[in-house]
Amino acid sequence: MSTLSLPQTSYIRDNSRTFTDWLKSWLLTVDHKRIAILYLLAINFFFLLGGLAATLVRVELITPQGDLMSSDVYNRAFTLHGVIMVFFFLIPSIPAVLGNFLVPLMIGARDLAFPRLNLLSWYLYMIGGIFALIAAVFGGVDTGWTFYTPFSSTYSNSNVVMTITGAFIMGFSSILTGLNFIVTIHKMRAPGLTWFRLPLFIWANYATSIIQILATPVLGIALLLVVVERLWGVGIYDPALGGDPLLFQHLFWFYSHPAVYIMILPAMGVISELISTFSRKRIFGYEFIAFSSIAIAILGFLVWGHHMFVSSQSVYAGLVFSFITMLVAIPSAIKVFNWTATLYKGSISYRTPMLYALGFIGLFVIGGLTGIFLGVTAVDLHVTDTYFVVAHFHYVMVGGTIMAYLGGIHFWWPKMTGRMYNETWGGIAALIIFVGFNMTFFPQFILGYLGMPRRYHVYPPEFQILHVMSTAGASILAIGFIVPLIYLGISLRKGAIAGDNPWGATGLEWKTSSPPPTFNFDKTPIVTEEAYAYPPEAAERDAAAWRPGSPL
Amino acid sequence: MAEQHTHAHAHHHGEKHTHISRGTYYRVFAALMVLMVLTVAAWWVEKNLIELPGWLAVTIAMSIAIAKTVLIVLYFMHVKISSRMTQVYAAGAFVWLIILFVITMGDYVARGWPPQAGPLP
Ligand SMILES: [Cu+2]
Repeated sequence: MSTLSLPQTSYIRDNSRTFTDWLKSWLLTVDHKRIAILYLLAINFFFLLGGLAATLVRVELITPQGDLMSSDVYNRAFTLHGVIMVFFFLIPSIPAVLGNFLVPLMIGARDLAFPRLNLLSWYLYMIGGIFALIAAVFGGVDTGWTFYTPFSSTYSNSNVVMTITGAFIMGFSSILTGLNFIVTIHKMRAPGLTWFRLPLFIWANYATSIIQILATPVLGIALLLVVVERLWGVGIYDPALGGDPLLFQHLFWFYSHPAVYIMILPAMGVISELISTFSRKRIFGYEFIAFSSIAIAILGFLVWGHHMFVSSQSVYAGLVFSFITMLVAIPSAIKVFNWTATLYKGSISYRTPMLYALGFIGLFVIGGLTGIFLGVTAVDLHVTDTYFVVAHFHYVMVGGTIMAYLGGIHFWWPKMTGRMYNETWGGIAALIIFVGFNMTFFPQFILGYLGMPRRYHVYPPEFQILHVMSTAGASILAIGFIVPLIYLGISLRKGAIAGDNPWGATGLEWKTSSPPPTFNFDKTPIVTEEAYAYPPEAAERDAAAWRPGSPL
Repeated sequence: MAEQHTHAHAHHHGEKHTHISRGTYYRVFAALMVLMVLTVAAWWVEKNLIELPGWLAVTIAMSIAIAKTVLIVLYFMHVKISSRMTQVYAAGAFVWLIILFVITMGDYVARGWPPQAGPLP
């Protein structure tokens, strides 16, 4: 392929004459790559919206008094932030955008197994999103993203039913994506692509898909029962009607703890790809990383009670949950050690995606280890429902998932669009995000440990300095998220032509043109080697002849 | 889908039945109707004739419900004639359901145990 111009035919180009035809060709597409782009646009829209709600929360917390909004409006603001970010950004983010785009490309298939189901899942996502938006416009919800009963089922008079319906519909989108990936990975691998030759991104998405299809229905039923009780007074959660409010927490966390792994496992898959590519080395301990994804997926189902230590859950159940929670640290640590070992004696180039990958490792270690603090019942009693918890899960979800999402978007941007982004700005934005993120959330660990509860809009004056630091960090973080929007947008017109494989990476997705043709490969590729098959001397050779175009 | 079906039929004939006959569907449907009548009858008996202990009533209701589920999953959802992998996934879903029930019930059963009985004073 020439590196002077984009390929004549690709999935982005079509020969529709009118605007309506063009719009139809996108909205009725069954091409996994186009659906990935639709998801990219929709998900980023929701990300900005969730970010706006976060801004409201952070601005309110600059002063100890409630001067910007009432406690009721504040409740609605953080609920909007949580619902949008969890259900409409984090859960679909990497699987629906990068997974949709890459799963067929990485396994040498022409599309997913069920292309029309794939389009349906995008529409379900959009319909769910519209429900959540309508609920927000007409007053919002004040339950928190967790919808805890009996508040959500009996007492709250905000738009609970509408919001829950949105999350319920979105759940089906998630299930269908998982189903599609599982069937595709089982049935449509290119000849020679055995399970242990699969890229680790595929393993990670496979593990994620298992969680999506096994856990999401439980969330669906838990939420549906809240609606049933609210609308028809059937006693599920209300003790006065013979129900149990704690049942909701069991059902909810049976989904929502594994949901954390729906967010972080695909992120770990991205990181494995980035670390290997930018160290010019085979990944260290391939099988261990692959199986640790599956182990995390399974163990993740056995630990949900660690969210319920101070509910009226039996203390004995709490002890068992606490113990199993510790076990999840093992496969997570295996991944971190293997990535680190991959870096050893690699030729590391600090391109933008790699900056995100290295940032991910550091932040995920902090997020993961504080998770162990919280898994210990004695420590958890002290910090339950404080900012310590808030800081912990933002380190995992923002420091983990969003770093990997951005790293992945930058890494595969040339494949998706055919053009390179501005590397200098890329590096600057990555650093801004890293600094802004830590400044936002590290003070929250201290705040929480000192006793600042989450979900309050007023607080004792001695906490103000840490809250102001956090808000200042959030402003830096916001700039860090806006800069990539600008330079990525500009690259669509002005970016250098990327060529098929700008990073010199392995993997089938780099063997086709950028952007790929509609059916991905001109002829079905045949795989004869394992993943990340960099020759042993690749790193040394690479270090000796420093790649041209590298900013460092 | 239809193409795949005939394809499988032509090449793997005898390896596995890829088809459920119309007669079987009707028989399964009839069985489901009988089970539905049983459900209602069990409720009526408990309501009007004999006071059953809770555990027995639940066991009866659950057995009927499980029988219905098995019939639907095996025949209407084609798990009986599906590939081994599909069957593993279908079974997996039930294993997960057991995980949900067993661990949740573990909490409910232990809820009344006094914490004082533990190692701490
Ligand atoms: Cu958890």
